[in-house]
Amino acid sequence: MPNLGELAAQLIRLLANAVGSSSLRLEAAPTVGILLVLLVLLSLLARPSARWSAADLGRMAEVGRAMALAAESGADAAVSLGGAGVVRASSAVDRFQTLGALPLLEHVAEAAARAGVPLQVTTNDPLAAIFAEATLATAHRRTATPERASASTVEYLGEGRAVAAAAALARAQTHGVAVAAGGMAEEGLLLLDGVLDDADWTVAGTASASQAAGPLLFGDGSLIGPELFQVAGEISSRVHARAAVLAANRLIWTVISVLLLGSFVAWAGGPQVAGFLAGR
Amino acid sequence: MRRSLLTGVGLVSGLLVLLDLLVVNPSLGQAAGALNELLVLLAAAAAVGGGATLLAHHARALAAGSGDQVGSIVLLAGMGAILLAGLRPGSTGSSDPVVLWLVAALLAPIAASLFALLFIFLLGAVRRGFTLRARETAVMASAAAIVIVLLLPIGGQAGDWLSASAGWVRAVPLAGVFRGLLIGVGIMVAVSAARSLLALDRDDE
Repeated sequence: MPNLGELAAQLIRLLANAVGSSSLRLEAAPTVGILLVLLVLLSLLARPSARWSAADLGRMAEVGRAMALAAESGADAAVSLGGAGVVRASSAVDRFQTLGALPLLEHVAEAAARAGVPLQVTTNDPLAAIFAEATLATAHRRTATPERASASTVEYLGEGRAVAAAAALARAQTHGVAVAAGGMAEEGLLLLDGVLDDADWTVAGTASASQAAGPLLFGDGSLIGPELFQVAGEISSRVHARAAVLAANRLIWTVISVLLLGSFVAWAGGPQVAGFLAGR
Repeated sequence: MRRSLLTGVGLVSGLLVLLDLLVVNPSLGQAAGALNELLVLLAAAAAVGGGATLLAHHARALAAGSGDQVGSIVLLAGMGAILLAGLRPGSTGSSDPVVLWLVAALLAPIAASLFALLFIFLLGAVRRGFTLRARETAVMASAAAIVIVLLLPIGGQAGDWLSASAGWVRAVPLAGVFRGLLIGVGIMVAVSAARSLLALDRDDE
C-alpha cells in the first residue's frame, strides 16, 4: 500500500503527463481572446453593479398591452422560431439564433399566459419544439396559470426551411400578436409574410445580416443583427441577462478600441495588425 | 437539488467542450467526442420522434375531422410515398433512384416555385413597410432603386461609370454595414455561447 507521499507523487506525475501530452489547438492569441470573453462575462456575473438602462429593443415593452387587446378581442398569438432550428444542418450562428429566440418566446408566453391568450408556436426542428414546450411550461409555472397551458400548443412542421415558409403561407390567419424570430435565409420573407401579415401587433427578428430587410419591412417591432441576442437583457431584469448585455457592451468597446488602435498603427507606418487579428 | 444537478451537468459538459476547443489532448478529445456522439444520438432520436409526432398529429386531425383535411392528406401521402420508395425491399435508401426522382421532380420544383414568389412578396412587404414606418422604408426603397439604376445594362462610358459606382456601393457602404452587423452578431454569439456553455439559465438564479 503506497504511503501519502507516493500517492501525491503519482497524482502529480499523472497531471504532469496529461499536461505534457497536450498542446494548444489554436495559437496563443486566439486562445487568450476566447478566455478573455469568458473572463469578461464571469467578472460581470461576480460583480454586476454597473448602471443599467433599457432601450426597449423591438418594442417588446408593448407585448403585455398587445396581449390584453388580443384577449379582449378573442384572438390568439403565434410565434415562429425561424427556419434554422437547433439540430438541423445549418451554421452554428444560425442555430444560435433559435436559442436566442427562446428568451423572446418566454417573454411572449408569460404575457400570453397572464392574459389568457392561446399561443401557437411553430418550428421546423424537433429539438427546438421540445425547447419551446419546456419554455411554455416554465411560463405557465412562473405565472401560476397551469389551467391555461392546454390552450397553447407547440407544433413541429416537418423538415426543411421551405416547409416552415410554406406552412406559414398556407395557414395565414389573423392573429392578435405574431412573433417570428430566429435564423432565416431566402425563405425569411415568405415566413414573415405568412406569420405576421394582418396580425394586430407583430415583432420580427433575425441575426442573419442578409435578411435584415424582412423584419424592417414586416414587423411593428424589429430586432436586427445583434439585437436578437441583446433583447434577452432588455426584457429581463435578472442578473445573467443584464450581464450578457453589459459583457457585450464591453466587448463592443474593446473591438472598437482594437480597430481604432490598429488603424492608427497602420496609418503611422507600423505593422499591419489586421492579418494577425484575423489569424492570417 | 434537481436544478443544481442539471446546472452541474451543463457546466461540466460545457467546460469539457471548451477545453477541447482550446487544448489538444487525446483523453480530453475522446471525452468531448463521446459528448458529441451523445448529441448526434439525441438529434437522431428527436428527428424520429418529430416525424412520428407529425404523423400522429395529422392522422389524429384526419380521424377527428378537424384542421386542414386536404393538407393533412397531402402530407401523409407525401410521407408515405418517400418512405415506401426508400424502405421497399431492394431499395438503396436515400440514394435509391425512385427517391432521387421524387426529390428532383417534385420537391425541388415545388421549393423553387415557392422561392420564385419572393419578388411578389417583397413588393407586398414594401407596401406594408410604407404603412408601418414610411420614412425608413422610403430610405430603403430609394437605396434599392439607386442600386437598380446603377446595375442597368447600359454600354459606353455612362455604362462604365454606372458599373464602377455600383461596385463602389457594394464594396464600401454596403460591405461596411454588413461587417458592422456581423461583428455585432459575432460578439453577441460569443456572449450567448459562453452563457450556454456555463449553463447560466433563469432557473439558476
